[in-house]
This record gives sequence, structure tokens and C-alpha cells, in this order.
Amino acid sequence: MIHEKIAPGLMVALEDYQAKGAAGLMAHKKLLGVIVEEGSPRPARAVVFIRCADGADFEHLRANKVRVNQARGAVRTAFLPLSHLGELSDDPKIRRIIPSRYVQPFMDVAPGAVHLPEFRLQTNLSGKGVIIGIVDSGIDPQHPAFKDRILRIWDQTLPGPGVAEGDYGAEFSGSLLTVSRDTHGHGTHVAAIAAGADATYGGVAPGAELIIVKSSFQEAHIADGVRYIFRIASELGRPAVVNLSLGGHGDPHDGTDPLSQIIDAETGPGRIVCCAAGNEGNDNIHAQIAVPQGGNRTILFHVPPSSGEDAVRFAALNGWYAGQDKFEIAVRSPNGFQTPYQNVIATGLSMQVYDLTDGRVRISTPDLDPINNDHNFLIEILPLQESRHPVTPGTWRLRLRGVDVHNGQVDVWALDNSQRLDVLFIGRSVQDTMKIGSPGTAAGAITVASYTTKNHWRDRDGKAQETGLELNDISDFSSEGPLRNGSHKPDLAAPGAMIAAALSRDSTVAPGYIVAPGFRMMAGTSMATPFVTGLVALMLERDPQLDSETIKTRLRECSQVPNQPAGSFDSKWGYGLIDAFKLIRYFETAPAAPIVEGKDSVQIGGVQVKKRA
Amino acid sequence: MNYRKLDTRLAAALVEMQNPEEPALAVFIHMAQAPDSSAATFLKDLGVKLSSPCQQIVTARVSPRDVEELSKQPWVRAVKLSQKLRMLNGK
Repeated sequence: MIHEKIAPGLMVALEDYQAKGAAGLMAHKKLLGVIVEEGSPRPARAVVFIRCADGADFEHLRANKVRVNQARGAVRTAFLPLSHLGELSDDPKIRRIIPSRYVQPFMDVAPGAVHLPEFRLQTNLSGKGVIIGIVDSGIDPQHPAFKDRILRIWDQTLPGPGVAEGDYGAEFSGSLLTVSRDTHGHGTHVAAIAAGADATYGGVAPGAELIIVKSSFQEAHIADGVRYIFRIASELGRPAVVNLSLGGHGDPHDGTDPLSQIIDAETGPGRIVCCAAGNEGNDNIHAQIAVPQGGNRTILFHVPPSSGEDAVRFAALNGWYAGQDKFEIAVRSPNGFQTPYQNVIATGLSMQVYDLTDGRVRISTPDLDPINNDHNFLIEILPLQESRHPVTPGTWRLRLRGVDVHNGQVDVWALDNSQRLDVLFIGRSVQDTMKIGSPGTAAGAITVASYTTKNHWRDRDGKAQETGLELNDISDFSSEGPLRNGSHKPDLAAPGAMIAAALSRDSTVAPGYIVAPGFRMMAGTSMATPFVTGLVALMLERDPQLDSETIKTRLRECSQVPNQPAGSFDSKWGYGLIDAFKLIRYFETAPAAPIVEGKDSVQIGGVQVKKRA
Repeated sequence: MNYRKLDTRLAAALVEMQNPEEPALAVFIHMAQAPDSSAATFLKDLGVKLSSPCQQIVTARVSPRDVEELSKQPWVRAVKLSQKLRMLNGK
């Protein structure tokens, strides 16, 4: 036996079997692909994955009752008496033996938590005929979960002639799809949640086709990507739903930013956009204060110590207040150096630069924003010119003085150079509201919060992994609404932690997050959003002319905040966790999904489900 | 330059730019109404492709000089700097 080739979980199971017989395997039965009946004369058997040479021949193992199910491939399945594990590991063509686990159909437990399997069984929907557009980090076009269903990739990051919506990047289809790579893995995971086809970790709409935009994450390019997807969908005569699992906080948080407005303009019958709410639920990135006429108020924000590549080299505050008010703005550094108070500058350049000992402070205080007629101010803090040091760490102060006050409310969001959220507010002005930024602020979009359906798992080597998330609750990282103008966002919540879906072969992942060959765990409102995107695709399959308002209304009516009356809005849950089965009420009765029973599995509505022993 | 039509970030970015002719700014151009023929021509010269005649917000890659010219056009309501967003998976 070559122990190094056998995953630790399997080794432990074998040792327990050798020591205690069938009784020793009872604890492992629930987690590993071990088939054993206590008191039965039949030996314990195991279902395993093997990594091996692509063309290796294992026919000779049948004599020892070891059956490798596939004749080719670098990853195969095998069925064998557990006691023969050692002989399998001795074969030089075997590289690794990994347990196969009992899994739920679809994406593990997430779909069951929102009654998606029941909905799919009742309606026999798969997203067929619908296009799902993903504007993200790209996709692994070779992943089996997307086989033959990726129509186009517009890779905005590669040099090329571009497309009608922008003369940059390159468009690929067919055999050239593989030119584009997803080196991050986020886009592949998101696409798989929405539309992956897999017997173990399938997506919500495995029959939908995909149009992918690999983006630079520049807002303007994201907007171009949305228009591109809808144009192709129109040319093909198909309904489409676009997924945007991305966001930021440089906007006014009221849906009047240009990306949100483009989304509003582009949505319509059969043209839907789903956006993530954001992951700042635990981060103090929003401060709010009421400043009286003639009064002074202070907002504290903290810049942490930093160095090296991760140093904070830029901190910014994005502030907004009502157009009828006017405030003077000043900034005080950790060591007590303060800029003068700066009023609204109505003509010319509104930015003034102040070199304090602790750093360079740029304060912009223009007149009314021409789109929403509110006042915006921008504070930027940098090291002094040519300084190699990061921004001076410590508590900085934003000072506001009421010059002409009618409303008095000022809202401020913190940003920094890496968008890593190093700079955070402290003190009494911290507000756990209004943390949804563009494009989640788009009125026409469906904005999705995250719900936790899993907080622990076993990785591919059988090692237990866990997070600190509260199970069966809104994920604590999910950003709170409402918007700055009081609009109700997020719209609803869907499973966003921890979600297993396709792993891009070109990405790098910590081993603890790989749950099976080709599949990984990830969490975020990024993961919750494609869940709803897939659900929308199912709805569009039945009625391609559904518009955003109708879909949003239906989804809200089928969602509920726990322990709250139906129709209640919560700043974290939106209108609550979606119950997909309640959507049945909007569908005509359809024939139930066909059930095809095989020896070891059952196919229900096109989805393969393993039978348990 | 009509600074009232520029957002704060765009105005700040212009200060940093050394070359007024370099088209290094990704922007959104808000129009007061659907572009007429002269506006469409102006936009075409900037490399903007209108996907529909009713479009009131377009994206473009422009230079500081272009921003100055845009700010003077009566049919331009606002010019806003595109910002970089991020993926929303957990930390």
C-alpha cells in the first residue's frame, strides 16, 4: 500500500474497518462513498475518484474485483472492496485515490433551502431558450458544466477590434472560446451557480445558454457589456437575464449614477438584470450625521498602519447631502493638523489641495450635481508628494459646518486605493445602513442579499473546513439597504454561503476550498445573485416577455423575512428569503418532470441524482 | 471648461493629467435628450457608437481636451468618470 496516494479520510476509514469491521465504518458511511451493512457477509465497498494517467488501462484489476468505470480520462471513478484499497494504490498508473461523497443533487444544500428542486420538478423548467449573460472575470470554457452552451465571449481585457458596443477587446465563439481564460475563478463560479450542468453541483438553470463578458471591471465597460449581451440576445430572438456580481461605493447610493441609469434604460420585457447587494455588512464604510444651522459636527475615520505592497496609499471619502443645504468641509489629521474650512465652490475647479504635515488632502466641493441636484463632496488623502510612506495612520476627522441648512443630513462612504476597505469609520456617526452601492442601486435591477445555507464542509481530502457564519440566517457580511433616497433595496435574499460550484482550471484556490475535482466553495452576495439570475431564467423560459417590475413583484411576493408579516421589508433581508416553490402560482399547470430510474441513480427532470446505498 | 457639468472625480482626475490630448479617461456622457444630428456627429468623432437613437447615456474614452469640448456642448448634461468596481465574493 502506498499511503501517500490515499486521501486521509479514506485511510482512516480503512484503519477503522481493519480494526473493528463493519461497525468501524458506520461513522464514515455518512460522509464517504462507503457501502456497508452491519451484520451482512458482504465486504464493505467503496466508491472513489482516482487520478491517473489519461490513457491508463485498468482491466487487469477486475480480477481483484476493482472496477474502474471509465476507460480513459485523468480523473475516473472506481468501485472496489475497501480492503483492496492498498492494491489499487500499488498500481503505478494511479496517482491519487479520493473518496466520493454522498451529495445532494444540484448545488448541495442551497437549492433545497429555497425549495428549488420542488419547483423544477413541478414545472420541468431548465432555462432552455433563455440567455444568461455574465459580466465578470470570465469563464473556464472547457469546464464540463458549460459544455456546448457558451454562445459568445467578449473578452474586454485582450487586445482586439472590439464589438459594436466598444472597440476594445476581442469576441470569441466556437472553437476559439478557449482563447479567453478565467484566472480569478469568480466568473466561472457565478456562471455555474446560474447555469452549470452537473449531476452533483448543477446550477439553477442548466438548460440556459451563456454569453460571457470578461470585464476590466471599469463601470463604463460593464455598461458596454450589458448592452452587448442584450444586443446579441435580440439578434437571436431570445429573452436574456444579465448577472452583475460586482459593485463599489463611489456613487451617490440613490440609483442616479450612470451605470444604474443605463441598467434602468436597458431593462424591459425579456431584458432583466440581477445585481449583488454587496458584502460590507460587517464593515463600517458608511457614516451619517445631522449638522444643524451654524453648528459643527465631526465624523471620525481610521486609517490603519500599513506597509509594503499592501500599504494604504490613498484614502477617500465620498459625501452626499441635499441640494438645498450648504456645508463647509475641513479635515483634521491624526496629529492635529487641519485644513481650512472649504465652502461650496460654484465656478471653476472646485478642488483645493492642502499639504499638511501628515499628508496631502484634496477637498472637492462643487455645486449641485446636474443629475440628482444634490451636493457631492470628495475628500482624498495621500502621502505628501514623493513620500514613500503610506497615508499617516490613526484617527482622521472630517469636520462639517452648517452654512445654510434645511435638511441637515450628510452621508459619507469610505474608499481606499485597493478597494480593500482598510479605511473605516469609527464612533457615533457609523451607520449600518445604505451600504448598497452601484449597480445594486439600479431601480430596474433585482438586487440580491446573501443567506447562509452551509457553514462547514469537507474538502477533497476529507479535511473538515468551516466558517463562522450563522447557519440558516442572513449572512452577516450582506450589505444593508435602503438607498439614500429611501428606496427599498435589497429586493430579496438567496443562498450565498457557502456555495459549491465550478472551479476554473486557470485559477488558484486554497486546497481547503476545493470540494471535488473541478468544484470549489465560495461565498458572497456574488453567489446569491446568480441563484436569482437562474431563477429568472426559469421564469423567462415560461414567459419570455416578463419585465423587471413583474418579475421583481413576483419574487418579492414569494419571499419572506422570518418572523415578520408577509410583505415586510428589512434593510438586510429585503423582502426576505425566496421560496421558489411559491412561484408555482404564476405558472400554468405543466406536466410533471419525467423520472427515469437507473441501477445506481435516478434522473428527474434532466437531473441525475445518485441513489444512496 | 464648464466644471458644473463634471463630477468631482473627473475634475480631480483632470488635474493629474499631463497630456491634454491623451484619451486616457473612461467616461459616461449624459445627454439632455436623445442626440440630434450634430450631437451624433460630435459623438462619432469621439469614437462613440450609438446603439439606439434614443440613447441618452453613452460611454467613451476621451482626453482632457475632449472633456473641455464636451462640457461646452448645450446638449451635454453631465460628464462623469467611470470608476473601477470589484467582485463581491467574500474576503
